[in-house]
Amino acid sequence: MSLPEFANLNRRGFIGLAGAAAGVTALAACGGPSTSGGASASSSSESVDWKSVKPAKEIQFWSNHPGKSKDVETAIVNAFNSSQSETKVSLVTAGASYEEVAQKFQTAQTGGQLPGVILQSDVWWFRNMINELIIPLDDLMKAIEFDATDYQDSLVKDYQYGDKQWGVPYARSTPLFYYNAEMFKAARVQAPKTWQELEEMSTKIKSANSGIQSVYQHPAPADYDSWTLQNKIWAWGGELSKDFDITCNSQAVIDAVTFSKNSVGTWAGVSAKDATADFSAKAVACTVGSTGSLVGILEAAQFEVGVAFLPGGPKATDQVCPTGGAGLGIPKNLKPEQQLAAANFLKFMGQPENAAKFAQATGYMPVRKSADMSSVFKERPQAQEAIKQLAHTRVQDTARVFLPGGDREIGMANSDVMTGKAEPQARFDQLKTTLEGIYTKEVKPKLG
Amino acid sequence: MTVAAPAPTTAHKRPYFASPRNRRDALIFTMMALPNVALIAAFTYRPLIVNLQYSTLDWQLGSRTATVIGLNNYVEWFTSGDAALVLRTTGLFALATVGGSMLLGLLVALALNTAVPGRTFARATVFAPYVLSGVGVGLIWSFIFDPTYGVLSFYLRGMGLSSPQWFSDPGLSLVMVIIVYVWKNLGYCAVVYLAGLQSMPSDVMEAASIDGASGWSRFRHMTLPLLGPTTLFLTITTILNSLQAFDLIKIMTPASDGTRVLIYEAYLQAFGAYQRAGYSAAISVILFVILLALTVIQLAWVEKKVHYA
Repeated sequence: MSLPEFANLNRRGFIGLAGAAAGVTALAACGGPSTSGGASASSSSESVDWKSVKPAKEIQFWSNHPGKSKDVETAIVNAFNSSQSETKVSLVTAGASYEEVAQKFQTAQTGGQLPGVILQSDVWWFRNMINELIIPLDDLMKAIEFDATDYQDSLVKDYQYGDKQWGVPYARSTPLFYYNAEMFKAARVQAPKTWQELEEMSTKIKSANSGIQSVYQHPAPADYDSWTLQNKIWAWGGELSKDFDITCNSQAVIDAVTFSKNSVGTWAGVSAKDATADFSAKAVACTVGSTGSLVGILEAAQFEVGVAFLPGGPKATDQVCPTGGAGLGIPKNLKPEQQLAAANFLKFMGQPENAAKFAQATGYMPVRKSADMSSVFKERPQAQEAIKQLAHTRVQDTARVFLPGGDREIGMANSDVMTGKAEPQARFDQLKTTLEGIYTKEVKPKLG
Repeated sequence: MTVAAPAPTTAHKRPYFASPRNRRDALIFTMMALPNVALIAAFTYRPLIVNLQYSTLDWQLGSRTATVIGLNNYVEWFTSGDAALVLRTTGLFALATVGGSMLLGLLVALALNTAVPGRTFARATVFAPYVLSGVGVGLIWSFIFDPTYGVLSFYLRGMGLSSPQWFSDPGLSLVMVIIVYVWKNLGYCAVVYLAGLQSMPSDVMEAASIDGASGWSRFRHMTLPLLGPTTLFLTITTILNSLQAFDLIKIMTPASDGTRVLIYEAYLQAFGAYQRAGYSAAISVILFVILLALTVIQLAWVEKKVHYA
């Protein structure tokens, strides 16, 4: 019997093979947290003399291209790469949603390649901060003379905690009230100032437009419905939390969610996936959706689209619109050179012309006060409403944006009530217990 | 005549590795086995062991540090109320999908076991959904079930009925994913049952017919018992598959209200919203133990009863 050729493997070959096998094992052994309390320290941005640091040659920008922004993001990245020779930025599609980008970023902490700039939504930046995954930008911004005073004040404040700036606004949005202007005209009604007004006019709208399934469409439970739920809660005089004091079971909150619940099946429906798609398909006469959906709605809708401020309620008609969307941050576990390069790129991204270019392509709000939006307003007059509404926005409740899973828990509670599966007071009492548990276990220990 | 007893062996047995041939054989064996052993160790057993370790940690995904908390994650899960909800949902999903796939699969197999024109085409059609991507199937059926502009709601409205809220009603969400899962997997059961039906001894069935046994009687007293091993095999394999169903559930019900089965719960805790990697690892271990128990049952019991020949 002749032996296969590899049977004559010499000692060196055998050691090589064993080494390869050991390498595979070692490769799989990468990652995992330290349980000794001595995790490797990364660069602390506050102790770096930025003047002596040279920017890294290459960094990545991780985004999910919100508002179908891949083309405009690519154009801005290319413009940055052409504008200087020190750093080359690569645009990376890090997921299809804010959550997927966050997942990729978190898993990359234990062995993967980190980006220089990370896109993080309103519900993710705080978690990244308390887990020490991002750096405060103050010193870095000062070192490169990155002046943030021209940013929209309310949007910049969204990324402040402990007197530090943890991110800069990027794809920022607010919810808008979208209505089919032709249907409203047929019913001889105007955009409502309050939700009760919409309820009252719903009969007229329905009878003038018999083809619609519902007058109003609530956002889908999976489509950040707790974001827009805050509008009703504030309009009814409630709030989900006061700082970290959970108040989601107050009478005002219960009244607000009960109003929503009673609307379902009478004059409103609940979207399965995307309320703005239902609206564009003329299945409903009005809905609420992100300003970032404006371009998509205008492209899809075969009718005159009207936009208006979010309706108020019995207790408030102003400051009932939450801000939202995403901003940009810089990871902690990078070399100072990479962080400096990332800051230079952030500064470039935030230039007024780039902010205007991004807003024009997507429908998101221009994050700079001096961004020239005249061409956008000419092309899409509806965009002006979003800008006007910005002065009437309110920072979101801590329970939704600062508690891990808060967004989901609030959405599930609301969904249970809307579908009649749970009694409002009991379900929101239960929600309060859950949110308090998350705060006590996941957040409080990390805030010191 | 006396026969001498054989002399006791006093010589020492020669060590196996003393022979150059044996050493060479061992080397060949090692070289052939080592790559596979290394890969399985690295990508199957090591993650399993590491996951066990993670399940004893209070660890936020992304954080570089974690605290050892022993069995607290298990204690918390079993005492939180989530356990009852998730295990009930998992049980309902498994029961409905396994029962539905097998029952419908058997009916389809019985239909395809008759000599009808286009039988080969029908078999391929029935089996096709099984090999389709769960993501694609989920997206298409999401459109069908959409209460606003879905195909199903279109026909329901045509009949003067309103569409059920498949996506926002937790109870209906579970029913929806069960329907789609059964549709996707009944082809597998049908093909396996068909193989079982076609391997049945025809002379026995003919004898029963001659003896005057009715169709139902033949099915009840002969076909079903003869399909026993096939049914046992399908029960185990479809339960294992059903407990690992993820893609379809994730795509169709991203809000997860009503469809929190064990594997989806493990995902949600680590990646979906909470970042609780240690807690998620504990849920994964619980799922692993259930799957292991079912596999042991299969090896110990079913293997003896299924005839592969």
